[in-house]
Amino acid sequence: MPKAPSGPARAARATRSNQRTSSKNPTGRSSFSAKRPTAGPAPRRAEAGVTRFTRFRRSHPMWAALVPVALVVAVLAALVVIKTTSGPALATPAASTVTGGGAAATASADGTSALPAGVLSAVTSVSPATLAAIGSPSGVSSPVATGTRTPVIDGPDGKPEILYVGAEFCPFCAAQRWAVVVALSRFGTFSGLKATHSSTTDVYPDTKTFSFYGSTYASPSIDFVPVEEQTNQVVNGTYTTLQTPTAGEEALLAKYDTAPYTSQPGSIPFLDIANKFIAIGASYTPQVLQGLSMQAIASQLNDKNSVVATAIDGAANQITAAITAATGVEPHGAA
Amino acid sequence: MATMERRAVPGWITVTSFALCAVAIGLSSYLTITHYTDPTALACPDTGIVNCTAVTTSSWSILFGVPVALLGLLWAVGMAIVSSPWSWRSTARWLDTVRTALAAAGAAMVLYLVYIELFRVDAICLWCTGVHLTAISLFAVILAGRASLSQRRALAVDSPPR
Repeated sequence: MPKAPSGPARAARATRSNQRTSSKNPTGRSSFSAKRPTAGPAPRRAEAGVTRFTRFRRSHPMWAALVPVALVVAVLAALVVIKTTSGPALATPAASTVTGGGAAATASADGTSALPAGVLSAVTSVSPATLAAIGSPSGVSSPVATGTRTPVIDGPDGKPEILYVGAEFCPFCAAQRWAVVVALSRFGTFSGLKATHSSTTDVYPDTKTFSFYGSTYASPSIDFVPVEEQTNQVVNGTYTTLQTPTAGEEALLAKYDTAPYTSQPGSIPFLDIANKFIAIGASYTPQVLQGLSMQAIASQLNDKNSVVATAIDGAANQITAAITAATGVEPHGAA
Repeated sequence: MATMERRAVPGWITVTSFALCAVAIGLSSYLTITHYTDPTALACPDTGIVNCTAVTTSSWSILFGVPVALLGLLWAVGMAIVSSPWSWRSTARWLDTVRTALAAAGAAMVLYLVYIELFRVDAICLWCTGVHLTAISLFAVILAGRASLSQRRALAVDSPPR
C-alpha cells in the first residue's frame, strides 16, 4: 500500500510541486525546465514559440519518442535505394577474370608498363653463390611461423599456396616484390610480369618495381596467388581498384594480418607461405631502392657487396627458407 | 510514490527489451565464435548478394583491432544488463540515460555497418542483418520505455501528496 511521504520528503515534494506550478506553460501542461519570468504579453509569445512538433510531442509522447527510430529506418532505406539505383548490383561478378587470383578488375588503367630489357632475366637468375654469400643479413626481417599445428594450405592447382596481397601504390609492396620474384624464381617461372612504381606522393615515392597483376607463375611444387588490390592511379581521391581478395583470401587476411604477425593489422604487403609462415610489410627498407631504375636495381642483384643485393637477396633468402621449411621443397641451385 | 516509480514502464517494454537483448546476445555470440574458429563456417547461403563470409572476413570486420562481432556481443551484454527487469525497476535517472545512449549507439553502428556492407563489401550478411534488426527494434523499445518513464514521472510529480 503506497503511503504519502512525510517529513523532509513531503516538504521537498511540496517545494517541487510549487515550482512546477509556477513554471507551467500556456498550454496548461507542466514542463521540467523552469522559464524566466518575462514582461508584456508573454503567454502569446510563448504560444507562438510552440512548434508543431512540440504540440505533437505533448499530445502523442510515445509516437514522438519514436521519431529517432523513424529517422534511422529512413536512412537505412535511403542507403538501400541509393545502392540499388546507382552502380553495379551487389556482388556482381566481373566480366573478365585475371590470372593470378582474386576477383576481376574494374579499373581500366592499371599503371603498369612493359619490363625494361634485361630486368626479368637478371632477377630470375640470381646466382645461388651470390645468394649463399649474402645469407641472412641483419636488417632483413624473416617470415613468422604460424605454428606446427597449422595445416598447409593448397592453391588452385593443389600445391602449397603462396599468397601475396599488396597494391601497386604501396612502396613497401614495391620493395617486397623484388624479393618475392627472386625467391619464387628458384621454384618456378614467372611470365607476364610488368613494370610499375609506387605512389609518387607516398613515403619512398616512385619506387620502381614489378606488378603481379596479369602475371602467371608455373611451378611443379608450389602455387603462387598474387592479389594486387589497387593501382597507383588516383581517381577521385582514391587509388583505383584492381583486384579484390576472394572470401578465402579475406579469411586468411583476417586471421593473420593482425597481431602477433604485425603491429598494424590490415597492413600490406601480406605474404602467406603455405599457411605456415607470414610476412607482413617489407622485409627491408624501401629506402635502398630510392632513385634507382629497374635496370639499376636488377644489375646489382648478383653483386654480393651491393647494398641493394644485400637487401633484396637477403629478403629472398628468408622467403626461400620459409618455403622450403613449409613445403619441404628445395629451391633450384640449392647445395 | 515508490510503488508508482517501480512500475514505471509497461510490462511489454520490460519483456520485449530483455528478449531482444537475448536474441542479440545469441546472434553475436555465434558470429564471435565463428570469427575466432572458422569464419567460413557460417551457416549462410552464398548467392552473390548474400555472402556472410565476405562480410565477416572483410577488412571492415575488425574495428580498432577488435572484431566487430565481439563488439556486438559486448554491446548486447551491456544492453541486457541495463534493460533487465531489475534495471527497468530502478529509479536511477542515470540508468535511463545510459540505456538510451547504448541503444542509440547501437542504432548508429547499424547505419555504419549497413553502409559498409552495401558500399564497401558489396555483400550482405544475414546473421549480421539479424543483429541489426534486433538493435533497431531495441532502440525503438528503449525510446518507448523512456517516453513511458517520463510520462509516469511527470504524473507522479504532478499528483498531489495524500
